[in-house]
Order: sequence, then C-alpha cells, then structure tokens
Amino acid sequence: MIHTENLSKTYRMGEVEVQALRDVNLEIKDGEFIAIIGPSGSGKSTLLNLLGCLDKPTSGAVFIDGINTGKLSENALAEIRREKIGFIFQQFNLIHTLNALENVALPMFFAGVGREARLKKAEELLVKVGLGDRIYHKPSELSGGQQQRVAIARSLSNDPEVVIGDEPTGNVDTEAGDAIMDILEGLNRDEGRTIIVVTHDAEIAARAGRTKRMRDGKVLD
Amino acid sequence: MRDKFLLAFRSIKERKARSILTVLGIAVGIAAIVALMSVGYGMEHAITGELTEMADMISVMPGEIRGATYVERGSFTDRDVSDLQRIGGIKDISTMTYDAAKVEYRNENVPIFVFGGDTKELEGFYVDPVGLKEGRWLRENDYKGCVIGDRVANDFFDEVLHVNDKLVINGEKFIVVGVFEKGDMLYSNDVDRNIFLTLRAAKEVLRTDEIKYIIVRVYEIDEAEGIAEEIEERINDNHGLDDFAMAMTMGSMIEMMGDIFNIIRGVLAGIAAIALIVASIGIMNTMLMSVMERTHEIGVMKAIGAKSSDVLSLFLLESSIVSLMGGVIGCLLGWVVAKVLSFLASTASGLEIAAIVKPEVLLGGIAVALIVGVLSGFYPARKASKMSPVEAVRYG
Repeated sequence: MIHTENLSKTYRMGEVEVQALRDVNLEIKDGEFIAIIGPSGSGKSTLLNLLGCLDKPTSGAVFIDGINTGKLSENALAEIRREKIGFIFQQFNLIHTLNALENVALPMFFAGVGREARLKKAEELLVKVGLGDRIYHKPSELSGGQQQRVAIARSLSNDPEVVIGDEPTGNVDTEAGDAIMDILEGLNRDEGRTIIVVTHDAEIAARAGRTKRMRDGKVLD
Repeated sequence: MRDKFLLAFRSIKERKARSILTVLGIAVGIAAIVALMSVGYGMEHAITGELTEMADMISVMPGEIRGATYVERGSFTDRDVSDLQRIGGIKDISTMTYDAAKVEYRNENVPIFVFGGDTKELEGFYVDPVGLKEGRWLRENDYKGCVIGDRVANDFFDEVLHVNDKLVINGEKFIVVGVFEKGDMLYSNDVDRNIFLTLRAAKEVLRTDEIKYIIVRVYEIDEAEGIAEEIEERINDNHGLDDFAMAMTMGSMIEMMGDIFNIIRGVLAGIAAIALIVASIGIMNTMLMSVMERTHEIGVMKAIGAKSSDVLSLFLLESSIVSLMGGVIGCLLGWVVAKVLSFLASTASGLEIAAIVKPEVLLGGIAVALIVGVLSGFYPARKASKMSPVEAVRYG
C-alpha cells in the first residue's frame, strides 16, 4: 500500500519558486487501478515521480508498505525502484543502443539476475506484450506503440507490485493506446498489480477503477 | 562482471568515431613513451657495449676534462712510463704521441694531425671498431707507411687519396698503405681527420719525444679503478701537481655515459609524459561528453533500479576499456616506431643502434594507460553516478 502525508514539492527556477505539489494526502490500496488526471502543470508528473521514488519531497512523506521513503538512502531507493516499482514513461525511455530483449533484461541485470535467466524472462515478457517476433529489434526499428510495449515489459521484469505510468498512451495513436491500456488492465485484473496512471485523456481515465483529479498542485476530492 | 563489460563495450562501439579518436590519443602518448625509452636503451647499449669490449683498458692523459673540453697540461716523460711499469697488475703499457704536421700532396699543403703509437695497440683501438676500406694496417716496421682517415682521403685535398699515393709529412716521404672507413659518432673525431704512423716514425717527423697519451691494459678488470688511481698519483708526484694526469678506466667512462643517458631518458620521458597528459585530457573530455550526451540514459538506468555505484562502475569500465585498448595499440605502435627511429639513428650516426624494447616498458606503458584511463574517467563517472534520476530522465 502507498500513502502520502502532506506531500509538497517546491522547485526553484532561477529567482522564482514554483510549488508543484501542495500538501497532498493520498492513499492507494494494493491491487488498485487509479488514474490521476488534470491539466498540464497541475503537478501530476511531480506526484508520480515522488510515488515512484525518482525524486524526494520538499516536505511531507511517501510511505510504501509503511516505510517512509524520504528517510531511505540513495541505494535503498534504487532498490525500491528496482524491486517494487515498474515505471512506464510517456517517451518510452528505452536505451537506444540495446535491442528490445536487452532493454527488458536491463533492470534484472541491475538486480543481479544471471544472464540466461534474465534473457529467458525478458523473452517471456516480450511475448506477453505481443512482441515475440521483435525481440532483437532496436528501439529505432519499432513503432511508438511497440516501443511502449517494450517499456511495459521492462517495467515488469523484476515482478513489481506497483506499475506507474506517466502518460503511457500520450505518444501513441488511439489503437496502440487502447492496446497498452488492455495490457495494463490485464496486469491489474489478472495479476493483482497496483496500477497508477497519469493522463489527461478522460477516456483512458475512465478505464481505471478510481480517478483522482489534480489542479494547481492539489488533489481534488 | 562479464555483462557489465559487454554493456560498456557496446556503448564504446556505438560511438565508434569518438572512441577510435580517444584510443588513438592514448596510443600516441604510450607509443611515444615506449619508442623513446626503447631507443634510449638501444643507444645506451650500443655505446656502452663498445666501451665494455675495452673494459681492461685505462686511458692516461696529461690534462683534465673540464665540462666538455679537454685541457692539456703538457706531456708525459720517460720517467712517468718507467714508473708505471713498476705498478702491479698492469699487463701492457703503450705510449702515443700526436701533433699537427704540414702534409703535402701534389703541391697542396694542408695541416693535419699525425698520430703515432704502438701499432698493435692502435689496431685494437681504432682498426677493429672502425675498419679499413682500402689496403692494410701498419706493421711495426712500416717506417715509411701511413694509414689515413676518411676525411683526409676524401676532403682535405683536391684529389681523393688512395693506397699507394705518396704524402710528404713535415718534409719526409710516406706511402699510404691503408685508408680507414668513415668513423661513427664515437670515432669520427679520433680517426677521420688523422694520419696514423708507427710510434718511431711519428717521433721522427714530429721531432719530439713527448708522450701525449698512454694506454694501460690490466690483468684484472676489477682492479682497474685502483690502478688508475695509483697511476694518477705517481705521475702527479713526478710533475709536482695534484691534477696533472687523468687516468680513466672504461668503467668510469661507462658510468659517465650512464649518467648522461639517465638525463637523456629523463628528458625523453618528460616529452612522452606531456603527450600522455594531452591524451588523458582527451579521455576526460570524451567521457564528459559521453556523460552529458547520455544524461537521459543514466536517468533511465537509475529510474529502473541502477544504483549510483552501478553507473560509476559502468562509466569507469568504459574509460578503462578505451585506455587499455589505447595502451595495447600504443605499445605495438611504439615498438614499430622504436625500430624505425633506431634505424634512422643508426644511419645518421654510423653507430649500430638496435632499439631495445623491454617487456617492463611495455607492461609499464599498458599500466600507465590504464591508470590514466581510470583517473581521467573517474570525474565524469562520478558526475554521472551523482545525477538525480528525475532530472536526468527529463534531460533531452
């Protein structure tokens, strides 16, 4: 379970301070599929980065399974990102020098999984997202939708409890977007994984079990 | 480890042109070190090797070497020579004299140095290392024969001199019985510009009994230093001066050469070190560029669970691989350059210089490359490892 207590984040841009997040209190239960919606600049991505342990709050706290992540060391945060959370980015963020199989296997490499075991699992995951015939293709040889499916496979490689998607359908066409949402729904429904998705597409949000709306750095009820 | 190595290697391969240039930068630095050191060792070996062959010899001169010039203080007397004969451990003593003489050939007059000494001793001293290109060496009873140096034969007169040509030295007629080859760096001063006579003939034409040079050979090379000191002492006593005579063993000459070579090697190593510093700045620059270019990639790696130490080791591994490749290629390149340089130096000096490529220089070269790679890769790697994942992901 993830919950936040008075979570705030302030960025300094030159002389100006921008308060991206203001006292956010949010609770996400295990196995939930939650969509966070809101206009650009409302603080959705900031919230997601904090939930995903990519960033540290200015004040307040994020608790994952009861642990205050703000008190953890860099290495411990890296371990949480590796073991508990799978991240899917709007820009896919695949490593362009590696092929699909190697990209999916990379988190397992950092987790110390042996070469054969991780390549086998990476192949299974690519088959699962419908890319069994594209495993040796480099990102540049794949369409946007296919790249995002590789990114989903990568996010699942260490079998995380939570999958976080920052506008996962934002850079693909409707058909590919639907396919991606089908996969995410399946992960939630069939495997019981917690899915947190940020989007500004109401149709996508409608497929989630719960929707939270954000505006000006606050979560609206 | 193997996987990290493969990952690092992949990223080097992806940036082929830049990696090749960086490898080349290090290779040139290492090649400079290996080549210059190897040629230095080769030169030292060539010169001290020739001197070592004459290790049982002590040269005794009436004067001293000040800086790079020889200052003559007079000449030895017969009493000096007979005193030397009483020193134990001496196998053989031969005396020599020399002076400038007026030499005439076909109505052309040129002043030339005439050298006279024991023919056997001179043969071992000059003919064996330099060689004759025409005729033969002097015999003890060649009172009217002379052997001439290469420049005497070719440059000093309008016509080139050959065996059987006749010279008039200080009014006395001599016949050329032999012509020296051109002397190399070590010998050209002593041989090329001189005319060699038997000791008796030289004393006659130079109208002198002065002894300007004594060569002493000892039985035991180990005793040479002690004997040299005793020689100086005896002759100085005879002349009432503290520093009239200088007796030099080949050992002390080799030692002197060794000091000179240490300086030369130091200078060469300095030049090579500059090349290496330039190369290491190159690596650091390449790695920094790589870090900047891959900020996004580093962010992604951290976002999917890479620890700072994973990123640090990946980047360090990359710079180590690049520098190791540079080191190995540099050693090979240095080897080839050393051979070419020593060939050129041999041709220019006439001395047979073979570059000596020592295994420790090669291993040292590779080690230096690796150290340079790790050190100059460390800053960029640390910079990469310290990046915040969220900022790095946002980058680019």
